[in-house]
Amino acid sequence: MTVIIELFTSPNCSNCAETITDLQEITNALNGVQWREVNIIEELDYAVELGVLSSPSIAINGQLVFTGVPSAKTLLATIKHAKTGD
Amino acid sequence: MGKNTTYRIGELNAELGISGDTLRYYEKIGLLNNVARTPAGIRYYTEKNVSSLRFILRAKSMNFTLDEIKQLLLFREAPQNSRVEVQELTRQKLKTIEDKVIELDKLRKELSLLLNLCGCADEGCPIIDGLDS
Repeated sequence: MTVIIELFTSPNCSNCAETITDLQEITNALNGVQWREVNIIEELDYAVELGVLSSPSIAINGQLVFTGVPSAKTLLATIKHAKTGD
Repeated sequence: MGKNTTYRIGELNAELGISGDTLRYYEKIGLLNNVARTPAGIRYYTEKNVSSLRFILRAKSMNFTLDEIKQLLLFREAPQNSRVEVQELTRQKLKTIEDKVIELDKLRKELSLLLNLCGCADEGCPIIDGLDS
């Protein structure tokens, strides 16, 4: 099962670069994971629809999962959980 | 405002922002009923009148027409005796309000998000970009 991860960022977000790096490292090591960066300002309606309240936020398969920066370990565990479809 | 209190036009103007001319007009067209008068003929308004006026103001803020508001006020007075057409009008207006609430909720969330983004910015304010686009 392919997992789609969306990272919601905004201009001048101080934690977003770090999260992007973590996400790249994690997704490179996993098969069946796609991710994209969503600029909240450019996709406001979509961000609001998912309930995004701040940046960075992370949605997995169209569901908001993290508001803020999770640890790499937590993020990896959540992605693996999503891959199994549980 | 409390129970068993009555109000003069000036007090309602201060409390609700409704002018004397508007109050008299609402009475003339039957939107506001049972307005009492002193022996000297001066109008005074009961809590029930004030409740009706608050309803009128809310309904006007939703762009309901005065005729629609009149129907809704009748329904408000005696829902058990209402005509089918008035019930249907009420259903339509309820739907209008529910749609409006959904839109307002989206706007609330959007503005909250933009304000939060302002808070996390080191310089500048992305809210400006969001509002410009």
